[in-house]
Formats: sequence, structure tokens, C-alpha cells
Amino acid sequence: MTFQSISFLVFFLPVVLLLHWAGPRRAGWQNGLLVAASWLFFYSWGPQLLPLLLAVTALNYGAGLALEALRGPEGAPPDTLRARRGRLLLGAAVAVDLGLLVGWKYTGFLVRTADAMAGAVGLPLSVAAPSWALPLGISFWTLQQVGYLLDVHHGRTAACRSPLAFALFSSFFPQIQAGPIPRSDLVAQLEVPRAFTLDALRAGAFRFFRGFVARFLVAAVLGRLLVDPAFSQAGQVSAVRHWLGLLGYAGQVFCDFAGYSEMAIGAAMALGVKLPENFDAPFLATNLLGLWRRWHMSLTGWLFEHVYSPLMTGSGRLRGRLDLGFLLTFLVSGLWHGAAWTFVLWGGLQGLGLIVHRRYDEAYRGLCRTDRAWVTRRKSRAYLLAAWAITQLFFLLTLVPFRARSFGEAAAFAGGLLGGGPLAPPRLALIDVANLLVCAGLLLAYHALRGRQLPLPAVARGVLYGLLIVYLAVFMPVADGTFIYAQF
Amino acid sequence: MDQRADLRRAIVEWLDDNYLFGDAAGMLTSDDLSFLESGVLDSLGFVRLVLWLEERHAIKIDRKHLTRANFDSMNKIVGYVAQRAGWAP
Repeated sequence: MTFQSISFLVFFLPVVLLLHWAGPRRAGWQNGLLVAASWLFFYSWGPQLLPLLLAVTALNYGAGLALEALRGPEGAPPDTLRARRGRLLLGAAVAVDLGLLVGWKYTGFLVRTADAMAGAVGLPLSVAAPSWALPLGISFWTLQQVGYLLDVHHGRTAACRSPLAFALFSSFFPQIQAGPIPRSDLVAQLEVPRAFTLDALRAGAFRFFRGFVARFLVAAVLGRLLVDPAFSQAGQVSAVRHWLGLLGYAGQVFCDFAGYSEMAIGAAMALGVKLPENFDAPFLATNLLGLWRRWHMSLTGWLFEHVYSPLMTGSGRLRGRLDLGFLLTFLVSGLWHGAAWTFVLWGGLQGLGLIVHRRYDEAYRGLCRTDRAWVTRRKSRAYLLAAWAITQLFFLLTLVPFRARSFGEAAAFAGGLLGGGPLAPPRLALIDVANLLVCAGLLLAYHALRGRQLPLPAVARGVLYGLLIVYLAVFMPVADGTFIYAQF
Repeated sequence: MDQRADLRRAIVEWLDDNYLFGDAAGMLTSDDLSFLESGVLDSLGFVRLVLWLEERHAIKIDRKHLTRANFDSMNKIVGYVAQRAGWAP
């Protein structure tokens, strides 16, 4: 059952909403219903994998309670037997969570890599790499659960006492497939009954619809008309088509994931649950660090909180080594995105980009200390425009390995971007051109408005939205497409 | 000089020098202003601020204390450091 399926839109979501708000306003009822709905949603993706989710939920629920019990009082010495047991339990629980993720997602990658390395020295292993079906959203809910355990262990949150609330925290259907990755404070929301408000229902419905348009119309159109033809003929078509394909891919991957996040946030909002925001107009960012504060914010926040900050402020060898921390954090991010070396390359490039940005920023601050005119220059339009162009161009180019299925394809595509050839744009029907213009308009409007309403009288706005909906319904095909981030 | 006022002045200087490019007076409108929400600090800045505070005051900030509740505004930071360093109230 997917978000665009008739069974979800016409049956599942309306029935869940109706039962949720028509029933008693008690956390037990609301959570029980949503847990049943969430497990049914998960079951619809892979019946054989539901026991895994249930087992992980039970494990982390128990581990959370035990970690809290083993947590010493404030100021207790870290070398007591209880503290050591706490660390041991945390390590074991996190190892199980990450072990399942690694086992399911990376075994094939590790086997293929080992085989290739052995083959390079003349010792082919000839072991077939397994290709198991990934449990729905395992990359996302593993981080969510690990974050919860770390927060409980460090005393940043209380362990969840209600098994029902924790089961919902672990399986909430709007976000289980691909986030946003909620922080452990979501538990507190789920432990109390949620109150119905028409405003929340209306706002949730609007965001769900907005996400639907981005995910199933805009992303799908960009992918079909620009991206797939360019990448499937990497190095064989004109440079213009490569650049259009890459620009289209930036729009596609953004609409695909930001659209899904909007749908998840909207559906949760309609159920009285507030999920964290995941995107904030990333194509307006004027530096790479800023871009990562706006793109997949829940993952970036998780990585900074649970990987970067502990490495940098801990007492280990990496303490204070900010550049190395960037590189390691984004290599982890790359590997999280996909079990392939192309993703590792992508993560490494992001890390290197952040290092360059940080070093540049430090050098620029040195100039500002000597002459205040540099501060003024930094605020000028020309400076901001150049900073924006460099940031976005860098991010755009790093999408080549992100999209390519192999280094060879990435190299061919990169060569195609530089290649000459005739100025031959793709041959498109008039309706396709119109659809692409609508897509570009929607992307621009999203970044310009950033959640605000169009500055028009309500009637004019209503007419405009109505015309847009009619256009979308009549002329733009709802494509099944491939949900890019679901693969991660 | 009062230790809290001294620390406050030092934090303003550090922010000015490292992030605000001389605009601290205009941006730090209140000692309760959220550094993260107002864009005064980002995640990297947060880490750098913690490292700087540890070095300046010879204290070790426990990982469990690395929360917004302790570091997201001038008042919170000064209050936290005062408590950890054992300054008189």
C-alpha cells in the first residue's frame, strides 16, 4: 500500500482518521488504533518482515526501561558497576539495531566488495551476493531507535513506560517508510491524548495534497521527461541534454523526498501528531553548511547530534578535529543513503565541500578582522549571488554519482556535461513542455513562498488553486514512479 | 569584574569574531534569544562553542548536558557554566 494508491487514499487514511477522531479521546484508544493501522501498513509491504519490526520494538522498549534504571543520579561517577552495565547494555542494544541494518542492507555490498578485492589479487571468492528484500524504512527507523536509546542513556529523555505508545513511536505509518526521523521527544506527544482541531486537519490535508503534487506529479514528470533519458544515454547525447537531465534530477530528488515528507507531516498533523520539518527551501542556500541545514534536516540533525558532536567534543583522538569530523560524518551519510561506492563518493564529496567552506570562512573572517569593508562586501548582492551559484553548482554536480548506478556511468555523464555537440534539446510534445513549465513554476513558488500563502485576495487565490488543480488533474499524469528515498 | 558579566562579554566577542562579523550588538537582542532558532549559531558553531567554553573554563561538559536546555541562549550558557564552575550565586 503506497501513499498514492487508491486503497490508501480512499479507504485506509479516511477510515483511520474517522475512527481516530470519532473514538474516545484517550491515548490508549488513539495509540491502539494507530498501532494496528501502522502494523497493517507495514504488513502490506512485506508480511514476512512484520515479526522483525515487532521484535525490534520489544527489544528497544525493554532496553530503554533498563537503561533508565541503570542510569545513575546526576553527578554519579562514571565507573560504578551500574554505569558500566548501562554502557554495556547500550552497546549491545545499539549493536543489535545496527547489526540488523548492516545485515539486511549491506551484506550484498560487502560480499561484492570482498569478491572484487579478492578477484583483483587473483583469488575470486565466487560467492553469490544475497539480494534480500529490505524491510520497509529500516534505514530510517533504525536511526530513530538508536537515537532514542542514546537519549535515554544520556538522560536527555525519559524512557517510554507505555508499550502502546512505544509501539506507535516505532511504527507510525505516516513516517515509517522514509521519515522524517523524529527525535525521542515524539514519545512524549504519543503518551498523552491528542485533541481534534479543524485547523490542524485542514493544514494537514493541505500539506498532504502539496506533497502529493510534488511527489507524484512534479518528480515523476521531471524523471520521465528529463532525467531518465539523459542518464540512460550518458555520454551519448548533447551537453544541453545532460545539463537539463541533471537540473531535472535536482528537482526530481527534491520533490520526491520533500513531497513524501510533506505527505507524512500532513497525515500526522491531521492525526494530531507533530513531526519534525525535513526541508526548508534548500535551493536558496548560499553555503554548503546552510544547504545541509535545509535538506533532509532530520537526518542531518541526527548525524550532527549523535555522530559529529560526540566525536568532536568527546575525549577521543578526534576531539576538535572539525574537518575530519565533517568527512567521517558525511561518509557515514553517503553509506546510509545506499550500499554502493557511488554513494560513498557522494558523501566524501559533501564532506570535502564542507571542509573547503569552513576553511574559506575562517580565512574570510581573518580579512574581516583587518578591514571591516570585507564585512560589507559579504552582505552585497553580488557576493550573495556568487555564493549561491557556487553552492548550488557544487551540490548539483555531486548529484551525478548520487544518481549514477556505477562509477562508469557517473564518469560518462560527467564527460557528457563537458562535451560539445549540437545544441540539441530533447524533443518534447507541447503538453510535455507545458508540464515542465508548470513543474518549474511550482518549484519556484515553493521556494519563494516557503509555507506562506500567495499574496493575493482569497477569491483570486481560490480561483488560481482551482485552475491549477484542474490542470494537474487533466493534463499531468499521476505516475507510479520510483520513490528514490524509499530505496535507502 | 563579576564572573558572569565577564563570561557574557567573552561570549559576545567570540560570537562576533567567529559568526556574526561584528553584528553581535544588533543580533543579540535579548539574553534569552535562541541561538539556534535565530540563526546566531549552527550545529558546527554549537560544537565550536562547547570546545571553547571547555578550554576557557577548564571544565568538561558531559555529553548528557549537550542539550538546547543548557546552551541555546546567553542566559542558559552563563547559568550552566556558573553552575559547573561552582561560581557563587
